[in-house]
Amino acid sequence: MGGFFSTIFSSLFGTREMRILILGLDGAGKTTILYRLQVGEVVTTIPTIGFNVETVTYKNLKFQVWDLGGQTSIRPYWRCYYSNTDAVIYVVDSCDRDRIGISKSELVAMLEEEELKKAILVVFANKQDMEQAMTPTEMANSLGLPALKDKKWQIFKTSATKGTGLDEAMEWLVEALKNRQ
Amino acid sequence: MFAKLKKKIAEEAAIAPRPGGAARIPRSVSKESITSVGADSGDDFASDGSSSREDLSSQLLRRNEQIRKLEAKLSDYAEQVRNLQKIKEKLEIALEKHQDSSMKKFQEQNEAYQANRAKMAEGMALALEKKDQEWRGKLVHLEKEKEMLSAQLQEMREQSLNLFQKRDEIDELEGFQQQELAKVKHMLLKKEESLSRAEQELEACSRELTRAKEELQVTNHLSSLLSNEVQELRQQDSELEAQRDELVAAEANAENKITVLEQRGQELQTFIQHLSADLQNARVAASGCEKRLETLQMEHESLKLEYEQHKLKMTVEVDEKNKLIEHLQEKVSSLEKRLEGNFSGDEHVWELLKEKTALEQKLDDTRQQLLTARTNHAETVNLLEAQVTKLNSKVTEAQGSLCEREEFLKNFKESNVCQLKELEQALQLANGALEKSKEEIGERELQIQKLQTDLEVESSKLQQHISTVKQQCAERISRLEAQIAVLETAREFDKTTSQQRISQLEQENEDFNESRQEYESSLKKQESELERLKKELSSRETVSVEIAKALEETRKQREELQQQVTDLILLIKGKDQLINEKTDVILKKEEELNQLRQGHEALLLQMHLLQSDIEACKSQAAEREETAGKQISALRLKMQEQQEHLLASGRNVLALEAARAFNKHLYPPEDREVEQNGEVAAADIIQLKKDNRDLEQQISEKNKMIKQLQQRMAELKKTLQKELKIRPDCEIPEVREKPNSEVPNAAMTVTNNSDLNDSREINFEYLKHVVLKFMSCRESEAFHLIKAVSVLLNFSQEEENMLKETLEYKMSWFGSKPSPKGSIRPSISNPRTAWS
Repeated sequence: MGGFFSTIFSSLFGTREMRILILGLDGAGKTTILYRLQVGEVVTTIPTIGFNVETVTYKNLKFQVWDLGGQTSIRPYWRCYYSNTDAVIYVVDSCDRDRIGISKSELVAMLEEEELKKAILVVFANKQDMEQAMTPTEMANSLGLPALKDKKWQIFKTSATKGTGLDEAMEWLVEALKNRQ
Repeated sequence: MFAKLKKKIAEEAAIAPRPGGAARIPRSVSKESITSVGADSGDDFASDGSSSREDLSSQLLRRNEQIRKLEAKLSDYAEQVRNLQKIKEKLEIALEKHQDSSMKKFQEQNEAYQANRAKMAEGMALALEKKDQEWRGKLVHLEKEKEMLSAQLQEMREQSLNLFQKRDEIDELEGFQQQELAKVKHMLLKKEESLSRAEQELEACSRELTRAKEELQVTNHLSSLLSNEVQELRQQDSELEAQRDELVAAEANAENKITVLEQRGQELQTFIQHLSADLQNARVAASGCEKRLETLQMEHESLKLEYEQHKLKMTVEVDEKNKLIEHLQEKVSSLEKRLEGNFSGDEHVWELLKEKTALEQKLDDTRQQLLTARTNHAETVNLLEAQVTKLNSKVTEAQGSLCEREEFLKNFKESNVCQLKELEQALQLANGALEKSKEEIGERELQIQKLQTDLEVESSKLQQHISTVKQQCAERISRLEAQIAVLETAREFDKTTSQQRISQLEQENEDFNESRQEYESSLKKQESELERLKKELSSRETVSVEIAKALEETRKQREELQQQVTDLILLIKGKDQLINEKTDVILKKEEELNQLRQGHEALLLQMHLLQSDIEACKSQAAEREETAGKQISALRLKMQEQQEHLLASGRNVLALEAARAFNKHLYPPEDREVEQNGEVAAADIIQLKKDNRDLEQQISEKNKMIKQLQQRMAELKKTLQKELKIRPDCEIPEVREKPNSEVPNAAMTVTNNSDLNDSREINFEYLKHVVLKFMSCRESEAFHLIKAVSVLLNFSQEEENMLKETLEYKMSWFGSKPSPKGSIRPSISNPRTAWS
């Protein structure tokens, strides 16, 4: 009933809150990206035990952005948040070549979920300001992104601390979400 | 070994599912059962289907077999896990044994330590004796020090004596200083005297200078006077020249005067002639004047006579006129009385009688007047007769004078002739005189000529004189000029000399100035010297003061030193006491030392023993490391095998996927077969699809299993490495006796448990965080959190639904509260069961 009214109201005002999940391994920079998107500043973060949820407005679109903790022990609980998700921002540390395999397996496991079939995937190749960072193509190949058939995805090279690449990524995401509607 | 390991692993596999993955493994088991069922059905399909189907079924069979093999391998892995568990148990046993052995060893070591302690006590006693000797040696040393100090005291006394000597020397120095100061003062006085002398000289010089200047002025004055004289001489010269001019002018005047005098001589001569003529004229006039005087006297007498006659006549006439007037008046009065008598005859007679009487009276008067007039006339006649007589006398007298005059004229004529004669004579005489005067004039002319000549001579003489005078003047002038020149030269000489003198004086002055400056400079120097000397004096005074201070300080130092000496003596006494005390202490400590030495020796022995033990332990540890390394290598080998298995399984999966794709490719022909075979084939196809899906699910699940196993393997590796790192530090001495390879495994299991606890802690923290957020955040966010909360808290589906409904109710503006269902409320249902 309430959901019905909320949908009516949202259709009236044209501002339905988009639900976006920020996922990725621990230490990839998810929380930093979240707060960079929300307040535009670099904040000092501690490892997220749990999650952070913030409302981000971008180009008159409201996003309810969920930043879920990426530590190994709490990764299984990601699946509890998958329902009604519009887009997934998957953050990968471009310098962490050792755990790229784990990252890939987590991504694959996530994409297999039925609840995320309609969600748009945006991969952030983060920490591009570092010297030994992987290129986006290298990253896409090692994550097995080209093998994704029935999924709209895009990879962006970003640096949360410098604030580069985030705008392009968000613009692409906004366009993709508008096109999907 | 390996068998044990396998058993352990198998055991672990049996135990592990219990705490953690209770939810996961049962599901997989169920899936296995499903797959097995599916496999059976696949077999059925294979038997029933066509040739292609048989192929498929055979392929499926092969796949199933492969799967079975994989399962068998999995069971093998499980066995291996059990074996590992067994190894762990064995290791625990070994640990217990090791503890026992260590206890025993500890007791032995304790005993040995006590024995060592006894030995140490003995050693300490020996050491104490040695120390006693050392202390005695130190005592002797201190006594020597005391002697040294007394020697120092003597030295100090000597120093004090030296100080007295120095003081005397200082006094001497002060005397010398005073003498030097006196000398300096004397020198200063001398210098001052010389300075005053120099000043005096300077003053004398200046005086000389002034004198010289005065002289210079005098000479200048002289020169000016001389020049004045020269000027005067020149003036005189000019005056003389003027005089000469005047003289010349006087000469000219004299000549003029001479001519004037000559003219005047001539004029005088003419004047004399005039005078003579005038004299003659005057004589003539005198005679005329005498004649006129006589006539005039005559006229005067006649006039006088006429006047007397006229006077007489006039008197007579006046008398007659008066008588007439009186007559007329009587007649007038008688006529007037007649005019009045016409009126009356008596009055007329009266009047005529009065007139007759008046006329008779008048006739009487007139007669009397006639008688008077006659008498007057007679007197005038008598006077006139007197006068005629007088004139007759006078004429007679004039006739006599005339005669006399005639006679006088005759005399005068005669005198005139005489006079003429005389004048002629005088003229002659005058002519002579004139001649004489002419002669005189000639003489005078001569005289004049003479005089002129004389004058000329005189003039020449005068000219000569003038020339001479001129010459004299010239000479004098020349002389004067010469004198002037001489004087000028003299003056110049004087000037030059004076200039020279001046220059000399100036030079002298300069010299004096220089000398003065030098003196001044010397004076300044001397002043500076004086100042310097004063400064030196002051500095020396300060030095002397400082020396005095130093002396006082030295005195104080001496006193202090004396005090120090006394203090030191006291200290020495105190130290002697201390030494005595310390010797006692040393004796005690020597005893302690002996004891400690004994203990030390015992400990050294123990140390040796322990070192040998440690070496043994190290060898054991090395052995254990080797065994562990072997184990690790074995495990790695197993890992590799498992990975290979995994890869094989992956390949199988890929093959299966390929087969599926192939199957999909094969669907169109199957469709055709469907068309051929009808509904049965379609059902078969559906069945096959289901089987395929099942198989795929199984494969995915297995993949997950494999991942979990890999994670666990990684964790095991980490823990093993940690154990290997930790062990050499602490465990080696304990594990000395039992070189078993099972010990690390046991430790690993323990750490594994702790890791699990860790994950639980993390999970608890996560739960806490999520619940907190769930309670605090907005409903729209909380709605998304329901699932997370229900998963974390193991909610059942109903409980979850209830949560969702309540949240929806909260979010909606209207609608009824969802009715609570008994089965969803465990808090109510549980007590009920308790009561029932």
